[in-house]
Amino acid sequence: MIEIKGLYKRYHRQHRVYDWVLEDVNLTIPAGVSVGLLGRNGAGKSTLLRLIAGMDSPDRGEVRRLCRVSWPIGLSGGFQGSMTGRQNVKFVARVHGGRYKVDDIIQKVQDFAELGDSFDEPIKTYSSGMRARLNFGLSLAFDFDVYLSDEATAVGDRAFKDKATKAFKDKVGKASLIMVSHGEGILKELCQAGIHLKDGRATWYDDITDAIAAYHAETDEARMAYGVVPISPTKQAKTAPAPTAPKAASVALPQPVPTEAAQEKKAVIDLPEDLTLPQARQQLSKIKAEFDAARTAFEQAKADNLPPRERKPYGDALTAARERLHAARRRVQALQPPQDDD
Amino acid sequence: MSQASNPPLSNGVRTSWQVTRSVWYAMFMREAISRTMADRMGWFWMIAEPMAFTLIMVSMRSFISSDRLVVNAEFIPWMITGMMGFFMIREGMMRGLGAVDANSALFAYRQVLPVDPVLVRNALEGLLRTLIFLLFIAGALMLNVDMVPDNALTAMGWWLSLWCLGLGLGLIASVVGTLVPELATVVKMVNMPLLILSGVIFPLNHLPHWLLEYLLYNPIVHGLELLRASFFHGYKVVHGTDATYFWMFTLATIALGLLMHVRFKEKLKAK
Repeated sequence: MIEIKGLYKRYHRQHRVYDWVLEDVNLTIPAGVSVGLLGRNGAGKSTLLRLIAGMDSPDRGEVRRLCRVSWPIGLSGGFQGSMTGRQNVKFVARVHGGRYKVDDIIQKVQDFAELGDSFDEPIKTYSSGMRARLNFGLSLAFDFDVYLSDEATAVGDRAFKDKATKAFKDKVGKASLIMVSHGEGILKELCQAGIHLKDGRATWYDDITDAIAAYHAETDEARMAYGVVPISPTKQAKTAPAPTAPKAASVALPQPVPTEAAQEKKAVIDLPEDLTLPQARQQLSKIKAEFDAARTAFEQAKADNLPPRERKPYGDALTAARERLHAARRRVQALQPPQDDD
Repeated sequence: MSQASNPPLSNGVRTSWQVTRSVWYAMFMREAISRTMADRMGWFWMIAEPMAFTLIMVSMRSFISSDRLVVNAEFIPWMITGMMGFFMIREGMMRGLGAVDANSALFAYRQVLPVDPVLVRNALEGLLRTLIFLLFIAGALMLNVDMVPDNALTAMGWWLSLWCLGLGLGLIASVVGTLVPELATVVKMVNMPLLILSGVIFPLNHLPHWLLEYLLYNPIVHGLELLRASFFHGYKVVHGTDATYFWMFTLATIALGLLMHVRFKEKLKAK
């Protein structure tokens, strides 16, 4: 069990004090429950994980670890770049004390990480995937009650992801997991409960799907503000707190481009099905003109050095126009008799 | 100290001392490998550097004057003891300076504290320096230079005391140098003048009294003179050499260094 009471955290760097990253976080993570941490970039997910791991200390409040907790398994940190993988593993095994036999640990890690000869090469020569595999394998070699994962599976290939998932499933009942991930599939697969971080506050959800829904509501809001239509309207409809706000945001937007993009996307679906060849050709040339217009607009935006956020609507419009163009072209090709090639 | 006297607590959690001991062990093995094996000819330079230094200094001195300036001690052993003692303190300080930054990746494991690499590096440095000193003594004996300490026990005592001073300075330097990188440059710059002001190359006996009064604020002078006094029977130490002052200074630096590590633990980790 991990108890978090009245946790406050902010960073002090170079004589500047930043805003609270975490504000008054109170959580009790029961034993044996795997938890997914959700939130936008910079919401404080990694900070919370570091505090749970004891790598960092809070400004106020406390974290009580009533069980064995791993270090945050992730891409950064934990390894000395100039030492080989084997030497790093040895170091960590020795730090964790006499209950573990160093040779056993090395064997386990070697089997899991499948690094081959690179195991005896300096860590700094490793790719990010190799690092993640090593870090993951290393943490699994110890019997922790709670494993902390900070996007550890993000860079792995499919085989590794399957292996990691299986390794965790084997540990169910013996250990639980607190994981930060943007991959919703893996969250749903491995976690039961969820924590959604927003504006420094943490909300506990007993069901991971509710936490994902809350996260979707938040991100959809932000996407609307950027002028992007949410891809999953059904998911958005499910969530209670954000039904009207997104619309208001898109109306208030000064640029007309995003709504156009939305219409065009719809138009792809609305393309009439029963067309004769000349009609289809005519439509193709029309759509081609639209596509060219969208492209020049996008290139103009690029030339104007607009910030990425403002440039995005143009890019989206271009993508939509391109999709339409491809659809129309396919239709023309389908209608064309095969011998008509010239 | 043995495993039996420190059984794990009933719930399987290790005691703080057990954790610290395994961290020190792990880190010592790590540092030992990187210190001796990491760069090519690491071992060679450890011995060649003081050797080259001795040769240069001896040849310089024989050009400048051939007089016997030191009472009751031959010049070469006199210089080697001073140089070894000085290097011990200097390395203690310099190793401490880079210790925290070099190991910052390892603070991911909450068992590892910023003070651990400093202590481990100093212990390792002390062992290596002792080994090199013994090699020098053996080498000198083979060349018929009398380097056997006349009072071996006190010699060992003062050698350890110099190590303690190096540790204290290293602890302070590790905190100060990591938090304020500008000061790390100052510490590195101070080294060269300190070599001369500590009476490693030139005996301080002949300096005027008013100047000596100031030079004796430097605790390294006291330490080196007392080390030499234990090596050479009847050696006349610089007037004003005081063992109490040396030890007061050493204990004060160690205490201050440890306190700084307690106070700035989180800041050092966060760096």
